[in-house]
This record gives sequence, C-alpha cells and structure tokens, in this order.
Amino acid sequence: MNWKGEGSQRAISVVLLALSLFYLLSSFKYKVGTYKIVGPGFLPLVIGILLVVSTGLHLVRVFRAKPGERKPRESAGETADTGIEHESMEGKESAETAAEGGNYLAIGGILACTAAYPLIIEYLKFVLSTFMVGFAMFILLKPRSIVLSFILSAAMALSCFLIFSRLFGVALPSGPLEVFLYRIGS
Amino acid sequence: MWEIGQCFLNGLFAATKPLYLYYALIGAILGTITGILPGLGPLGAMAILLSFTLKMDATSAMILFAGIYYGAMYGGSTTSILLNIPGEAASVVTCIDGYKMAQKGRAGAALTVSAVGSFVAGTISIIGLMFVTLFLSDIALKFGPSEFLAIGLCGLAFLVRLSGGSIFQSFIMSLIGIALGTVGTDAITGVERFTFGVRDLGQGIDFLPVAMGLFGIAEVLFTVADKEAPASPKKVRIKELLPTREEWKRIFAPVLRGSFLGFFIGLVPGPSPIISTFVSYFTEKKLSKRPEEFGQGAIEGVAGPESANNAAVGGAYVPLFALGIPFTPAMAMVLGALMIHGLTPGPSLIKEKPDLFWTVIASMYIGNCMLIVLNLPLVNIFVNILRVPQRILMPIIVLVCMIGVYSVNASLLDLLLLAIFGLSGYILRSAGFQVAPLILALVIGPMLETALRQALNISGGNLWTVVSKPISLSLYAATLLTFILPVILKKFRSAKKAG
Repeated sequence: MNWKGEGSQRAISVVLLALSLFYLLSSFKYKVGTYKIVGPGFLPLVIGILLVVSTGLHLVRVFRAKPGERKPRESAGETADTGIEHESMEGKESAETAAEGGNYLAIGGILACTAAYPLIIEYLKFVLSTFMVGFAMFILLKPRSIVLSFILSAAMALSCFLIFSRLFGVALPSGPLEVFLYRIGS
Repeated sequence: MWEIGQCFLNGLFAATKPLYLYYALIGAILGTITGILPGLGPLGAMAILLSFTLKMDATSAMILFAGIYYGAMYGGSTTSILLNIPGEAASVVTCIDGYKMAQKGRAGAALTVSAVGSFVAGTISIIGLMFVTLFLSDIALKFGPSEFLAIGLCGLAFLVRLSGGSIFQSFIMSLIGIALGTVGTDAITGVERFTFGVRDLGQGIDFLPVAMGLFGIAEVLFTVADKEAPASPKKVRIKELLPTREEWKRIFAPVLRGSFLGFFIGLVPGPSPIISTFVSYFTEKKLSKRPEEFGQGAIEGVAGPESANNAAVGGAYVPLFALGIPFTPAMAMVLGALMIHGLTPGPSLIKEKPDLFWTVIASMYIGNCMLIVLNLPLVNIFVNILRVPQRILMPIIVLVCMIGVYSVNASLLDLLLLAIFGLSGYILRSAGFQVAPLILALVIGPMLETALRQALNISGGNLWTVVSKPISLSLYAATLLTFILPVILKKFRSAKKAG
C-alpha cells in the first residue's frame, strides 16, 4: 500500500484523531486536582486536549490539501532539517519509494509473524514457535532453497534458546523439548 | 584540573579490565557493522541490543552502547566513500566528496582522513565531555523541578524543530509520546491510568518494545520493501590508505573546526550528529580557498563533517550525564539501558557512582583507539558485510527483536506492543512522520510530569513562579527564538529580494 498517497494520508489523520479523542475521553476518569496539588488526570487532560486540537488541525490540512501539494519529507530515523538535497539520500528514499510498489507479501508476512509470535509461544513453547516464525519469514523473503531456510531457522531457534536461557538466564516458555535441550546444554 | 586527570586515570585503569575491553571491542565492531549496513543505524542497533544489556552490569552496558554509537559514525563513512550509500544519516554529507574522491582513485585517502578526523574529534569531544559535564552537573545540583521541567520541555521542543519533516507532525508525535508515558500507575498517587483492566499495563508501556518496534522492526520492513541490489564494493589496498603530504596539510584545520563545531552542536537537543555534518560542510566550503572543489572530491568536505559527527556524539552525552535528560533519541536509548539497571543519570549519579562515569569516559577513548585500528586495515572485511543477503539478515533481526523484548519482562503484551509499534512505525515513517520525538517524549514524559507537579506544589500552584525562574525563563525564550527566528529571517530575506 502507498502510505504517501492522498487516501492513506487521510486514513492516517482520521485514525490519529480517533485515537486522540479516545485518549481525551478516557482522561476524564481521573482527578485533575488543584493547581497546588495536581492530580493524576491533569497532564492526560492537557495532552488529550492538545492532541485532539492538533490532530484535528492535521486532518483539516490533509483533507484540504490539493492533490500533489503535500509531499512527505525524509523520514527514516534520525534525520535533520538541513535543507540539502543530495543524490546519496536516494538510499533512504529508495526504501520508501520501493515500499510503494514493493514486496507487500513479505512486509505483511513479517508483521503477521511478529503479531502471531506472542499468540503461539505460550502453546507451542519457545523452540517450536521461534522455528516456525523464523521459517515463515525465511520463506517469505524468497529463499534460494527451502532446505536451507529450514536449517537456518532450526539453527536460529536452537541457538537463541541456548543463548538466552543459558547465557542470559532468561526464563523462556518451556515444554519437554526445551527441558531436554536445557539439559543437553548444561 | 589535577583531580579530573586523576579521576580519568582511575577510569582508564578500570576500563582496561578484560571484561570492559571486551565490551568496548564488541561495541566498536557492532557499531561499525550497523554503520556500514544501510538502514540499520546506531539507534536501531541500540534498540535491538537493549535487552542484551540485562545480564551486564551498568558500566558494561554503557561501554557497549558508547562503542556502538561511535562505531556507527566510523562505519557509516565507509559505505559513503566506497559505494555512495550512507550507512546512516550522519554520513550523507560524506557521500558528496568522499565518493568523488573514490572515483578519482583516492578512496583509501578519504577513508584514512575520515578515520583520523573521527579519532581526533573523538579525543577532543571526550575531553570536552569531561569538563563540561562536571561543570554543568555542579550547576545542575542547584536546579529544582522548575528548571528540570524547562530543560525537558525545551529539549523536546528543539527536537521537534530540528528533527526534519513537518514541525506540526513532529509536535503530534511528541504529544503521542507523552500520552503513552502516562499509561500505567501514577508515581505520586498510585492511581492506575489507561490500563483498561490489563494488569501488565500497570507498569506502564515499556520503552523497549516501542523503540524496537519503531526503529528495529520498521527498519526491517523498509529494507524488505526495497528491492535487493547486491553491493559490489571495490577493494582498497593498504598502500592506498595514506594521504599525501598536501592532503594532510589541508585536513588539519577542518578536522579541528569540525571537532569543536560538532561537540558544541552535540550539546543542543535534536539529531546533532547529522546537523553537525551539514554545518561543518558549509563552514569548510565557505572558508576554503578552493570552494569550487567542493562536490568534486574536496578532502576538506570529508575531514570536516566526519570529525563533526564523531564529536557530536561526545557532546550528546553531556546533557544525559549532567542533567539526566536525553536530548537525542540515541541518548534516550542509553537512558533506557541505565534505567533497566535501576540507575537514573543526572548530577547525583556522577557524585554517587563516579566509577561508572569515569570508566565509561575512559572506555570511550579506548573504543576510539580500537575503531581506528579496526576501520583502516579491516575496511575490506567490514565492507563485505554488505554481501550478506538481506533475506537471511532480516529474519534474524526480527527474531532477535522479538526474543529480546520477551526476555526483559517475559510479557506477551510487550511482544504485541512490538508488533503494533513496528506496524505503526512503518506506516507513520512512510507517510512522512518523524518518530524520534515520540520516543524521546515517551522517555522524558514521566519526568516532565513529576517535575511539573512538584514545581506547582512548591510554588503553591502559581504557574508564573514556575516559568519565571531565571534559568527557566531563559530556556523558554531560547526555545521560542528557535521557532520565531527562522520565520523572521525568511520574511526579511523575501522582503530584501522584493526590495
């Protein structure tokens, strides 16, 4: 999906306003207090009002903008308002430009894997769920060989389990397979 | 002065412990790699590695992060010079003349100048960091909540003004960050806010899944969206690395100027390493006897900006150590790592934990030495990292992010937040929003709220007393100026043109 497009900009502005309104309405539940003893609801109320006003203004600007008027600026990570345009900025820009016509399946798949991971990890436990998510991502990114993807994801799942559980002492969701691996690792 | 020297020597002695040397080396290597890999900047690397610092002591974590930050500045220049691809945003300017030098067969000299400039700048900024931090922290001990509120608000306002893109959109992002910071149990009254019955939200929205989602996962999505074009870096021979005597002469002043400029710009809130490179580039072009060479492979155009971005890193540490307030998103990450270890930086930290402060400072110097050794002879090895297919690298990064987030609180909610902020980061950044103000606001939002409530309480509810303290008032005035001045200047210029 083209997130720079007019429709997407409008959708984003509507979602932002809706979230701001939700935040503001939710903030009414908390006591504002007095100027001297400020309550837990004071800052949320102030921020909520500012959010609704600013996202509302943003929505108006987006809906009023003529096609092609609004051009999203440089947006990757830490960037500065430096006013210099250079051919080498293409590195970052290309990522975003490519997103317009690019690898939607992989993007959607990676997001789905990230969202699915917390849902399956409790049932399938660490090694199996990590392997499955890893394998799915390798497949989505068009591997040269499925066998290689299988080996890579299995190696990732096992090494991550051993590193995190044994080296960092993290209590990962464990079933019989993890207990067995933990014993081998020790 | 003598005391500072002695403290630094003690720090240097502590920093040479094998464990700290190990983390400095790991940080330098990881930083160089993240600097080389386009897309994955120091911020993303720190976000991904934040959970790995759990098992380390706070000093090791700081040493690792400092190495990553410095290393990324070194590494970023390598791909800028050899491939015209800025490894991270602070190396964009280096592409202009660095790549032109490479095309003329002077890639080795450009790499050496960049590394030497970075080393000199790193050294100068570490000296500046020691003195300015100690001076500022002594003053900051006298600050009350009103002053901290002013510093926090001004820091955020500067970032909104300078982070690029639309100021209005950045303002919205910072408000969202503060709003996210209000989720959880109120520190003063114990009231749960915006938890909606979700028990895990009582502790608030953790910084880690938000940072990893907005920078780690979103960065992966951008990389995946990009059609993979395998890089084919040219080899640089060791004997080609030496600049000529004339080139050494030409870089002396730009390196020094870049170092001082970078350090002082680093003290200002905002993406200082990036801004410093542009300021340095324009300064060198203006002062140069051969301005026509700029853009055609002027060595000053590599030396100045590369020195400036490294010096800015040292400068950026000053507000964090002295005031406890991060002025850049990367420093917010460092603050996050300190908070994971139960430490709150600020003037009292230097007094209470001088070992940590001096060891980290000394290790920065050691890290700088390691980087110059690593970056020059091993430049070909590092550049080869670009040959690793993204289809292998990206799933690994996503898995590390997910497991890393889970490992901190063993919370499924954190994993869900990671996915939500990954998607949000991708959409918002694609649509032209800057997410850096959001992350900074999330970190300093709770501090600002506490400072505001304390300040109002002390002043008996008088808001004017809170804002009218001399330091606070000066800061608010300076912030206002940064917003008004460009508008006035623009009008003045257009009036001059019309007239």
